[in-house]
Amino acid sequence: MQLNNRFKKSNKSFIKRAKVEIPEGIIKKCNKCGAAVLVDEVKANFNICPECQGYFRIHAYRRIKMLADPDTFVEWDQEVSGGNPLCYKGYEEKKVALREKTSLPEGIVTGEIKIQNQKVAIGVMDGRFLMASMGYAVGEKITRLFEKASEENMPVIIFSCSGGARMQEGNVSLMQMAKTAAAIKRHSDKGNLYISVLTDPTTGGVTASFAMLGDIILAEPGALIGFAGPRVIEQTIGQKLPKGFQRSEFLLEHGFIDGIVKREELRETLGKIIRLHRKNTYQEELVVTEEKGVVSNEVASSWDRVLISRMKDRPIGTDYIAQIFEDFLEFHGDRYFGDDAAILGGVASFGETPVTVIAQIKGKDTKDNIKRNFGMPSPEGYRKALRLMKQAEKFKRPIICLVDTPGAFCGLEAEERGQGEAIARNLLEMSTLKVPILSIVIGEGGSGGALAIAVANEVWMLENAIYSILSPEGFASILWKDSQRAQEAAEVMGLSAKDLYELSIIERIVKEPSHLTQENFHKVIEPLKKNIRDFLNRYMKLSEEELCAKRYEKFRKI
Amino acid sequence: MIKKILIANRGEIAVRIIRACREMGIESVAIYSEADRDALHTQLADEAICIGPAPANKSYLCMDKILSATLLSGADAIHPGFGFLSENSKFASLCEKCGIIFIGPSAKVIERLGNKQEARKTMMKANVPVIPGSKEAIKSVEEGCLIAKEVGYPVIIKAALGGGGKGMREAWQEADFEKAFLAAAKEAKNAFGDDTMYIEHFVENPRHIEFQIVADQFGNVIHLGERDCSIQRNHQKMIEESPSIALSEQLRKKMGEAAVQAAKASGYENVGTIEFLLEKNESFYFMEMNTRIQVEHPVTECVTGMDLVKEQIRIAAGEKLSLTQEEVEIKGHSIECRINAENPTLNFAPSPGIIKELHLPGGKGVRIDSAIYSGCEISPYYDSMVAKLIVHGTNRKEAITKMKSALGEVIINGISTNVDYQYEILENKDFNLGNIDIGFIEKHKGEIVCS
Repeated sequence: MQLNNRFKKSNKSFIKRAKVEIPEGIIKKCNKCGAAVLVDEVKANFNICPECQGYFRIHAYRRIKMLADPDTFVEWDQEVSGGNPLCYKGYEEKKVALREKTSLPEGIVTGEIKIQNQKVAIGVMDGRFLMASMGYAVGEKITRLFEKASEENMPVIIFSCSGGARMQEGNVSLMQMAKTAAAIKRHSDKGNLYISVLTDPTTGGVTASFAMLGDIILAEPGALIGFAGPRVIEQTIGQKLPKGFQRSEFLLEHGFIDGIVKREELRETLGKIIRLHRKNTYQEELVVTEEKGVVSNEVASSWDRVLISRMKDRPIGTDYIAQIFEDFLEFHGDRYFGDDAAILGGVASFGETPVTVIAQIKGKDTKDNIKRNFGMPSPEGYRKALRLMKQAEKFKRPIICLVDTPGAFCGLEAEERGQGEAIARNLLEMSTLKVPILSIVIGEGGSGGALAIAVANEVWMLENAIYSILSPEGFASILWKDSQRAQEAAEVMGLSAKDLYELSIIERIVKEPSHLTQENFHKVIEPLKKNIRDFLNRYMKLSEEELCAKRYEKFRKI
Repeated sequence: MIKKILIANRGEIAVRIIRACREMGIESVAIYSEADRDALHTQLADEAICIGPAPANKSYLCMDKILSATLLSGADAIHPGFGFLSENSKFASLCEKCGIIFIGPSAKVIERLGNKQEARKTMMKANVPVIPGSKEAIKSVEEGCLIAKEVGYPVIIKAALGGGGKGMREAWQEADFEKAFLAAAKEAKNAFGDDTMYIEHFVENPRHIEFQIVADQFGNVIHLGERDCSIQRNHQKMIEESPSIALSEQLRKKMGEAAVQAAKASGYENVGTIEFLLEKNESFYFMEMNTRIQVEHPVTECVTGMDLVKEQIRIAAGEKLSLTQEEVEIKGHSIECRINAENPTLNFAPSPGIIKELHLPGGKGVRIDSAIYSGCEISPYYDSMVAKLIVHGTNRKEAITKMKSALGEVIINGISTNVDYQYEILENKDFNLGNIDIGFIEKHKGEIVCS
């Protein structure tokens, strides 16, 4: 039975009302998924679309409210406003109208806040004001922000969101790039922290100046970040750009940012970073350590130890980090090319002491191994390690390296990007880093690939770890033209902890059970923590010159 | 005055509301999903607006689309029916903001009564009895034991994060308490990783008794007697009747007054239902308040003569109640059976499909509220209830025989229904004697075979 229009309708007047729009401010459309969403719901959810989890842009003052401890915001330099250097027609009127409409002073709001009771200078750009382009006012406010923070040795956080330079101000705008960069350099040279947070969109002259100059650069998920805008690039090269090009995830993959942080976790993460960058006043804590050169298993052959060091269930760098440190925060990227998963780096707390941790990581399964390239670092891995070690130097944090690699990656791409140069550079730079460095070989110490993070004040080895000029297979192949004789090679190479201790190439042997696994891992961790404490006790009191001199001597005498 | 109403619902309740509108000379606007193009409510309304694809979250739950449709059609009010957005305080508040009358209580009241803890507090303040229980989490066996005594045995020990019967134990006397508490806490710890426990008085085999209340904008609140909805399967009501044979005139008065008190305390307006659990010893406890018209409202309409949907519209338009409490008179006995498109022999699995043949009963005291017709399709997207069969007799016995007679006439071909299952319940001896409680279906599971 079809019902189409078979019923009698009782009313036919069809009342219409004049107003057919939903009043403003109740519902808005998500520009990512197109869903109509309730404004109140979006506001309550960090301005994130409840349908597609896409991010709406955030007004500057709301962003500050989201980050700051309640009632701690003090605005700075609200009165700074630029002129009209080009006498560009209508520019002044436009700015007046925007000030009225948005009640924003300019494209950026600056001031100070507290995050988890830590004082921070903050700048937040607001795209509603001429796409927060950087004219005199924006550049000047940022410069003053850094100058003032520098005077008081405060960290600075800037949330970027900008179209770039402000065309209406011509070269006055262009010069703001140099001005802000110079102010950042001064702030940095005084040993102060700057965290740059990139939000959608950050482009042009802002990307090419202060936004990319953070000690730590974070980004919100999915943000468009780039120098030239995607439309300009497409027109120039006459090609369609791939999906995800110039998004935060793309930048992370290409080594330009330290991490992507979800909006709802930003306050927590920023608080943690600032805490990990507090002034390092080391407190000695007396510990009793074991003898240095003793092994628990005297009879194992070097080949046995080679096999043990490569065991699949042997704890890897991430296990050590989880057990020894607290609050580990990973930072990514070499800032040039990529992010190498074979080397992991970041900051963490060792007890009360902030430290920089660098670790070579093998995979735990095939998938993980492919991601981490079987623990064989590429040049970008070494460059990331060096970048983070330089930061440790700036913030006066000791560096702890965990060595576990079959060797630096031998591959076409690695050579193209200068594997040799990357390793050499690390040897050079590490020799004069002005903070204590401790390297611990926890598994395989494969040649130059290992040494590139082991130019340390002290080098320790786990009892069954190995550290060698080359893999036993390679050694046999070069000297005897037969890689099958690896076992024989192992015995003559002097690659065991005991051998190397006797040659004074390493300073300590860390005893371990004959088959080290997750289950008996604590037997290594507990004494290791004490030993690290002892190391810090001995080295944290040395001057920068003494640290460098001792490191020089260590290698000089070999 | 309300001149035009958009019905933000589908199925039989949408049809029920459209009919009320027609009788009142109010224009009706239906909304429908792509799956409901040929639905009865779509065809019956004066106007119909498609609001999206079949899944409810893309159509009948889409607040923005419904609001746009309302403004576009020029309707001045929305009737939400039951289910969907009917008890969504956000939706009610959006209607308020858009200048549309939401036929129901205010957003604030919906929100307050929707929050279980807050509703409980409101009721306690108004001296409406609630199930006695611990206010704070129980930290130790000793503390729990003291509180259990206070609450009164039997007690039920519940995990704060509990659900699906896990982390739940009954203790019938003090001697059982420790064992039950420890077992429940351990189970909760294993299942939810948290052993925060609460204690409540265990209401043993209660009846589900609910009171229909009606309140206008002027603070007048009356009740229209009770409905006994004890015949439930998995917390889904199957048969409802009014009045309940478990209530003496005295108890009805007492519970009715408590219900009115509850509505007043929460600042209620429009029709609503206060649900109670009734113990054999005539103790009763507030469970929750439903802030909407209910599926089973016709049984109250039958015994009181009041048209609840029309009354809803009148109240929303700012009129006073059409009756005073003294004028309310319960006449005869009414029973409703819900007819669902489901297969009782396949564990009540939904049975969508096309209805090929249809015959529905009629006659004196027989009412059908439904949206099905011969050739219509029961879509898998929505609730499986396809019709409500309601009878009105002079007494319970007559109502039962009338219902059996009417059920016997029902022919629905093309889909499976629970008609035979309902028929067997009506033949059950305990049902006929009125020995029912919320455990009835569980208890008689084996006897009802759907032959």
